[in-house]
Amino acid sequence: MRLKNVETGWLMTMKETRRNRMALILFFVIPTVFYAVIFLITTHRPISFHLASVSQEAFVTVSQMNEALVFIGLAAVGILTSFLALHLTQKHAEVNRRLILCGYRTTELLASKFLALVTVIALIGCYVGAITPLFFRPQRFVFVLLGFVMAGYVYGAYGMFVGAIFRRELEGILFIVLLANLDIGWLQNPIYYADAQNKFIIRHLPAYFPSQLSMVSAFTDQSVLRPFLGSLAYGTILLAAALVLYSRRMRLWK
Amino acid sequence: MNGPPTTQQPDVLLEVRNVRKSFGRRRVLRDVSFHLSSGLIVGITGENGAGKTTLLRIIVGLLAPDSGAVTRGARIGYCPQDLAVFETLTVRENFSFFASAYGLDRQGHDKPWVESMNELCRRFRFASYQNALVSTLSGGTKQKLNFALSVLHDPGLLILDEPYSGFDWETYLQFWEYAEERKSLGLSILIVSHFVYDRSKFDAVLELKEGCLRCA
Repeated sequence: MRLKNVETGWLMTMKETRRNRMALILFFVIPTVFYAVIFLITTHRPISFHLASVSQEAFVTVSQMNEALVFIGLAAVGILTSFLALHLTQKHAEVNRRLILCGYRTTELLASKFLALVTVIALIGCYVGAITPLFFRPQRFVFVLLGFVMAGYVYGAYGMFVGAIFRRELEGILFIVLLANLDIGWLQNPIYYADAQNKFIIRHLPAYFPSQLSMVSAFTDQSVLRPFLGSLAYGTILLAAALVLYSRRMRLWK
Repeated sequence: MNGPPTTQQPDVLLEVRNVRKSFGRRRVLRDVSFHLSSGLIVGITGENGAGKTTLLRIIVGLLAPDSGAVTRGARIGYCPQDLAVFETLTVRENFSFFASAYGLDRQGHDKPWVESMNELCRRFRFASYQNALVSTLSGGTKQKLNFALSVLHDPGLLILDEPYSGFDWETYLQFWEYAEERKSLGLSILIVSHFVYDRSKFDAVLELKEGCLRCA
């Protein structure tokens, strides 16, 4: 892999993203609206739930609003990054293939897109993390932030994976909505999964580890090494699968 | 230059042997063979849907043939029929991106591609748009950029799919002047078009009909 090509690709992708002003504004408006809605509709009534990644006996009792704020922050980051990743992977497919024909390597193109995605994930994650203390103070703020970034990493990789499978936008969007709504938008909320009859599916969904990383950090002092490593592994596997599929789609016949 | 060569000659830049391609039950290319030597301008013509673009996509490597082989003896410059440029980048940024793909930005610090870009922009009369976003350009100017990107790296073999659709008359003439100049330096050009306006510009014109190539 030639780093100069990755750098050029990253720079150009960032320029394109920066010029899409409305999308850029929405990246910051959507989490703010999500937070505002939670702030307006929930109360500080205490709720108790079991955190899936800590010991079976451990129940935490926290404010309903605080729990909902962490959950909605994760959902905002995951959904936004998956759509952005889908867009980056699907857009300009023919021009990207022409670039490969001209000498770019598939790995260089995908790496540059991923770097651009990481840059945006970091910005969104930090923004969401920065506004979180306005509403409540988590126990370990830095790890909550790390959970947001890992949600972006896992769902960004998932968006790239979906973008590498589907050529058309609508199918990709529907596929992302299918999983994101079920997973990061519903089942990973401890209020839902704590009473679930069967937790096997929930524990194997992409947002499980990042959600646990943020929730455990926000409300306990338990170790978050396992959810962090789990997030890293899940995202990396999805990313590797995306690379294989993207390379197949972009391959040239010599 | 037409017909199936059995051995590759030293000045042959492109050799297509017994290429076949079907989409489902529809056989688009039945048994296409030809070779292209250096310093020639060859046209391939045919009706809409005759398989011209399919043949070109196989030649450059974007599509796999069902059978047959393609041998390329020079660095290719390819200009696709549909615009393949980044609309949300400027003209200059597009050149920069493609220069990176061609490896031109690694040849020292003085960016030699900038000189080529300036020359191409001046020649095809879109120098004043270098800092404009491609999305704001007219269709003809986008087509000029589409073409210019395919010759930035000074290729030995130029493969053009409907290159002058959208060109104004002055640019059309400029295109042929450029083609003649490059030809005299040994560059070969393969042009696919459903219209061949001026046969005298071509060294040979082949017609793709019912999946086979014939001299037109």
